[in-house]
Amino acid sequence: MTLRRLAAALLIALCAISVVPLFAQDGNVDVYGRALPADAAPYDMQVWRAICDSTRTEVSFSAVVSVYSRTCLDANISDLFSDSLVVLDENLNLIPAAAESWSVSEDGLTWTFRLQDGLMWDDGTPVTANDYLASYRFMADPANAYDFVWMWQGIIAGWSEAVAGEIAPEEIGMAALDDRTLAVTTEGPAPYLPGTLFFWPPLQAKALAERGPGYLLNPETSVSAGPFKLVEFVPGEYFVLAANENYTGYRKPFLREIRAVYGDQLNGSFLAFQNYDIERVNYTNLSPADFEIIAADPVLSANYRPTFGDFRTDYLLFDTYNPPFNDRRVRLAFAKALDRESIVKNVVGEQFAMPAYSFLAPGFPASDTEGALKGIQEYDCPAAQQLLADAGYPGGAGFPPQELKLRGESEARANWFVAAAASISSCLGVQITVNNMEFSAYMSALLARPTQIQFGAVSYGMDYLDPSNMLGVWVSTGRHSWRNEAFDNLVREANVFVGDPAQRIAMYQDAERILVEDVGGIFLLHRIQGDLFQPYIAGDCFRPDNQGVGAWHWGNDWCWGTFYVTNDVMNYPTYRTR
Amino acid sequence: MINFILRRLAAIFLVLLIVSALVFFLMNAVPGGPFSLGERGYTPDALANLERKYGLDKPVWERYLNFLTSALQLDFGSSFSVVGNPPVTTVIARTWPVTLHVGLYTIIVAFGFGFILGLIAAYYRNSIIDNIVTLFATAGTTVPNFIVATWLLLIFGYQIGWGQPNKWIIPPVLGAGNAILSWDYFLPVITYALLPMGLVARYTRASVAEALNADYVRTARAKGLGERGIMLRHVLRNALIPMITVLLPQIPNLLTGSLFIEVAYGINGLGKFFVTSITNKDYPMIMGLVLLIAFFWSLTYLLTDVLYVVIDPRIRVGGRGGAI
Repeated sequence: MTLRRLAAALLIALCAISVVPLFAQDGNVDVYGRALPADAAPYDMQVWRAICDSTRTEVSFSAVVSVYSRTCLDANISDLFSDSLVVLDENLNLIPAAAESWSVSEDGLTWTFRLQDGLMWDDGTPVTANDYLASYRFMADPANAYDFVWMWQGIIAGWSEAVAGEIAPEEIGMAALDDRTLAVTTEGPAPYLPGTLFFWPPLQAKALAERGPGYLLNPETSVSAGPFKLVEFVPGEYFVLAANENYTGYRKPFLREIRAVYGDQLNGSFLAFQNYDIERVNYTNLSPADFEIIAADPVLSANYRPTFGDFRTDYLLFDTYNPPFNDRRVRLAFAKALDRESIVKNVVGEQFAMPAYSFLAPGFPASDTEGALKGIQEYDCPAAQQLLADAGYPGGAGFPPQELKLRGESEARANWFVAAAASISSCLGVQITVNNMEFSAYMSALLARPTQIQFGAVSYGMDYLDPSNMLGVWVSTGRHSWRNEAFDNLVREANVFVGDPAQRIAMYQDAERILVEDVGGIFLLHRIQGDLFQPYIAGDCFRPDNQGVGAWHWGNDWCWGTFYVTNDVMNYPTYRTR
Repeated sequence: MINFILRRLAAIFLVLLIVSALVFFLMNAVPGGPFSLGERGYTPDALANLERKYGLDKPVWERYLNFLTSALQLDFGSSFSVVGNPPVTTVIARTWPVTLHVGLYTIIVAFGFGFILGLIAAYYRNSIIDNIVTLFATAGTTVPNFIVATWLLLIFGYQIGWGQPNKWIIPPVLGAGNAILSWDYFLPVITYALLPMGLVARYTRASVAEALNADYVRTARAKGLGERGIMLRHVLRNALIPMITVLLPQIPNLLTGSLFIEVAYGINGLGKFFVTSITNKDYPMIMGLVLLIAFFWSLTYLLTDVLYVVIDPRIRVGGRGGAI
């Protein structure tokens, strides 16, 4: 009996020993003592490398200091030193990040965010609501000349006045009710407010007060309450981040280290990727020739992960305040002369875009998923010719030559608009030349009043997941020289509408119909974005969304907590094994 | 000679003043500004705050006078585009030594090998050796360095593994300092040196070939002077003057770096700023770099003129007839 028990115990022990490696390699644990996934490579190989663009303007790692000039922004390696209040899941639902919950007062004017318990900076001090408060006050302070102040102008109480220097930053509608509770007061109801807060992991209030925002750039003074901490930084050359062993937040990384090198991100990324030197290439750094290589390679194809990204739409715009585009018939003629399907099929590639007939891309809240707006601007050359003739330009005769101005587009994207100009020109008989301007010169010309761009092309992608953001760019105080009072009113009413969400969405849909019918712009295509990953990169980040798409979705900052390098890396000559 | 040099230095100061005024007013006249970024552009308040923070809210003439006052104290302001907004002088002090390092190797390789190749081609002129050298030199001057860099990276950088960091030829002499010569420098220097090497080879060949056909060389040979003596004392010395005119001005180019080579090879040098500071509208960096390069060029031409006198005693400074 004893022998039988002993044999049974041995058998169980043997089974246990043989099963354990399925869950974790012996001793293969991360800095938190967690076992790595069963198929993970040894921990010392859990390194992520990236190329940062050495030609960009860079000011800080933190979006609190600058949104547009964040360090290594295009490789998504910024803002890893703390957590924003909220984040998006793969289905674009707002989920908790540093905030465990949030609620709004009955009058819709005060939002209260409750921080997770136990969040810590790696200097041993707790993360408090005061860190968030200090960061938002920093952004509102005109002395800091923050570049993204528009985000809360007209939304957070006192924000616009603080930015204009009329009141002190301490007087904006934000308060730390206690260490874990942050209150935000808005000027009017703003149901989308939580969605606007996911971009901004805070700075540490104490370090900010003592050393200014530059504390984040020096490994000796940098503190982190995020998944990684700064270990080395040689500006313009490289920086190294290590897993923050004191991190207690929601995205503890399996990766041991992130190493970013400054170089030729645009032209060098795919070459470095093919040499297994970096883990990911964004579609913006892949040329048409690179995509041909990817398409011909089954491994690369399988690891190119398309996504709708920021729901970016490329479109043509006009100065509708002056002739000839102050005539809707002319604008509609141009819209109906644009053969989007042919351009997407033959110039862009159907895997990279879909023809656009309205502004909001499919899947974005309030978008025209039924195709109800398609017929308005759809390609119909005879109808376009008739419209132009009705406007006084039969066969394009007498129509002033046009210059289609582009906003510093890459060669590949410039070709999209050259094709658009050719389509319109060949249908309507009007002369169109294309001028690809320098980015900032284009933006200055676009925003000048009166605008200096009579006919241009540009794209826009969301900043937060709400139609108030995408459609807000079309209100008459926005960047376009197009005005429609009914549109303005609908968008402004919907922005502060706190009733039935379906009714609010319907208001935006009505507004978009006006935009399309009045031809505020000609919508060319909705981009399908994507990233190319090495075959040995895995993680829950790639779990499919409710459309079955497995990708690094826009706003999924939690992905850094899921990425890991699989054992498959042994089959490739990467820098880890060379 | 001293008076000549002092007069030229004063002229250099005037040149810098004119260059600074031209560039300052031109760059401020270019459409778009350093902060015209982003999808929506900036709100008027945000733009006003940025302009105030960086001192761009003042009239352009006032900013120029402020700039001049500071520049005389070697303060060119703080960069708008470099992380942490460091002073321009700090950025230059940090990155120029890296560029100088690459540039000096490039000069050694380009001028050393180019000179030898040119000599060989001239000595064996119209032979197969001459044709090969000429072909090589022509290729070096005509193939753009971004093509060369791409191929070298593909062949050596990625396939063989040269050019990888930390693979040193000669390890650091002092503790953990930078390597004196590492594989890191190999590919950039070759890429960078091909063009000047081709130029040096071609000009050396032309100058030496012309000198070899000169009457004084024929006379020297007739007097029974040895070939080595003829080459060293007569041919090379006389061939140097046209070479100095053409080749010395290559040096400022090589010592101030190249955008493409530095970006392609990930060199954290000064060269990329000559282009990126313009595209990023980083006004303080633009001014700092323009004055640096203008000073460097002026100095090179001064050096060239002084060298003329040293090499050719017929040339005198300041006097009549043959004076420069």
